[in-house]
Amino acid sequence: MSESQAAAVILPLEGRITAYSVAPVWRNALETLSRNPDRPILVDASRLEYIDDTGIALIFDLKRQQRSPGAEVEIRDLAPNLAALIPPYDAKPYARAYEKPLAIGIIEHVGRAANQQLIYVGTMLEFLRNCAAALALALTRRGVVRWSETLSVATEAGANAVPIVLLIGFLMGVIIAFEIGLVAQQFGAVIFVVNGVGVAMLRELGPLMTAIVFAGRTGAAFAAQIGTQKVNEEVNAILTFGLDPVHFLVLPRLLASMVVVPLLAVLADLIGIFGGALVMASFDVGFLQFYNQLLGAVDAGDFLLGIIKASVFGLTIAAIGCQRGLATGAGATSVGLSATSAVVTSIVWIVVIDGIFTVLTS
Amino acid sequence: MAQSATATKAMTAAGTDGKPAISVRGLKMGYGKRVLLENASFDVQRGEILVILGGSGCGKSSLMKNIIGLYRPLAGDVLIDGESIVRSGPEEKARLQRKMGVMYQSGALFGSLNVLENVRFPLDEFTDMGTAQKNLTARMLLHLVEMGHAEGLMPGELSGGMLKRAGIARAMALGADLLMLDEPSAGLDPITAANLDRTILSLRDNLGFTFVVVTHELQSIFNIADRGVMLDPVSRSVIAEGKPADLRDHSRDPRVRQFFNRLPDEARQTTGN
Repeated sequence: MSESQAAAVILPLEGRITAYSVAPVWRNALETLSRNPDRPILVDASRLEYIDDTGIALIFDLKRQQRSPGAEVEIRDLAPNLAALIPPYDAKPYARAYEKPLAIGIIEHVGRAANQQLIYVGTMLEFLRNCAAALALALTRRGVVRWSETLSVATEAGANAVPIVLLIGFLMGVIIAFEIGLVAQQFGAVIFVVNGVGVAMLRELGPLMTAIVFAGRTGAAFAAQIGTQKVNEEVNAILTFGLDPVHFLVLPRLLASMVVVPLLAVLADLIGIFGGALVMASFDVGFLQFYNQLLGAVDAGDFLLGIIKASVFGLTIAAIGCQRGLATGAGATSVGLSATSAVVTSIVWIVVIDGIFTVLTS
Repeated sequence: MAQSATATKAMTAAGTDGKPAISVRGLKMGYGKRVLLENASFDVQRGEILVILGGSGCGKSSLMKNIIGLYRPLAGDVLIDGESIVRSGPEEKARLQRKMGVMYQSGALFGSLNVLENVRFPLDEFTDMGTAQKNLTARMLLHLVEMGHAEGLMPGELSGGMLKRAGIARAMALGADLLMLDEPSAGLDPITAANLDRTILSLRDNLGFTFVVVTHELQSIFNIADRGVMLDPVSRSVIAEGKPADLRDHSRDPRVRQFFNRLPDEARQTTGN
């Protein structure tokens, strides 16, 4: 930078100005302008070799600066091809600062959140009403259920989930037996650990752990599948064919889940008890002794309670996953949010329903 | 055009010693055993607008993805400014890819960012520019593609045409002088499409940008293309290369004439003999 006649400040722009090199040039130019508020600025572009869009923005930024009369910015010797890119721009759209969304106060935030929850409850109730009607129709009229789709969902959600359910169930049985066994050993009541393992697995842990695995694996998948279909307008296509998305998309998933989760829970029960039996062997309780003690500790009611619970859990998880999928907004982000929300909501409701069952059956 | 050609020469961006911006050499591409294209060879010169043509499903977009290094060809090579993007290591490939601005068919905007933030994203990641400067640059790019009014909208709120235009603005943000556009005019209204054609020509004429455009919009092809490369899904090869008007009027291949004259199959059988 140097001074010329008429007290103008010359600001040379030289060489190649690209996105990677523009930052210091731009900073220097703005500093020069602010240091010389009352002097004209001559931007000498005669030795400019190349600029990209950021360089064009730089020249435009210098030209649009509000300066006092007689202290304007003049661009000199700018190649005609570059100058041709600058005139179309109107300064007005660029004069304002980037408007970030207004921050809202805590009271408004709480109000909005409460309003959203009320809307959600209303939507969910409407959805559940539609699901109940669809289930009732499926039970009373033939041809309503798409059985091939139901079987496909059941295979994916059920058969393919067997390994993970077996692993979780086995480990739960082992852990429960070991933890209770260590305490019971101190009181000489090791044999009663069998009762604990039997009751815990059949009434609580079998269905509960199966449901949690199912929520993470299948509930999220339901939300993501239907959410993607919503984003791709497949749901709109179903509607315009005169079909009901609840019948078409939700009903097969509800039915499949109601059947599959109890079956998985049975597997979890058996493998959990087997894991418990293995641990009890290390506490000198043999398999036969374990079996006899177990028969005396649990009855068919415990088993049936677990199965009924698992069926309700399956229905809940499928309903929540499908509802979240159908409520998906636009874009890939919404699909992710729906899937996450489906898992979290499902797990919360599983625990709440489990608590209700415990109170009602104890 | 003569003036712009002079300017372009003076402003040639990458200083590549007269090498083509892109050289495709004996390229064979496909998915697994399904071969889409075999033994394709062509160059894209600096400051040229090359259009990749062909019917739906002939592999135009796949060819573009092979050129930008997203897919690995089954055989052959792609040179960017004389350097192989096929045989380059991860860092070299990333450096070559940053030379190219790419607009994908769907726009491929990031769903969690609004339009302005999407266009600003490359500047945020790769430059030291101040926030005000980045916003100004992004806004000017959005203005260029007539999206200035939509800067605060999220991608989910945009139409297909708006997504594409925002995608073009983002592709240009880092000043890449080699722009790859996948069906930029599809889904745009005629006025916006014509304005986009004008923008492409202006960037080529005034800044010497090189464009590879995948399209089958005939109007746009005749407006902007210096040269076209036409792919054929049946022979899985490049069946024509040249100026679009020449291909339309003088090609001996009936498939080429049918394409450029927008004729149904029965008409091709008639005109092909």
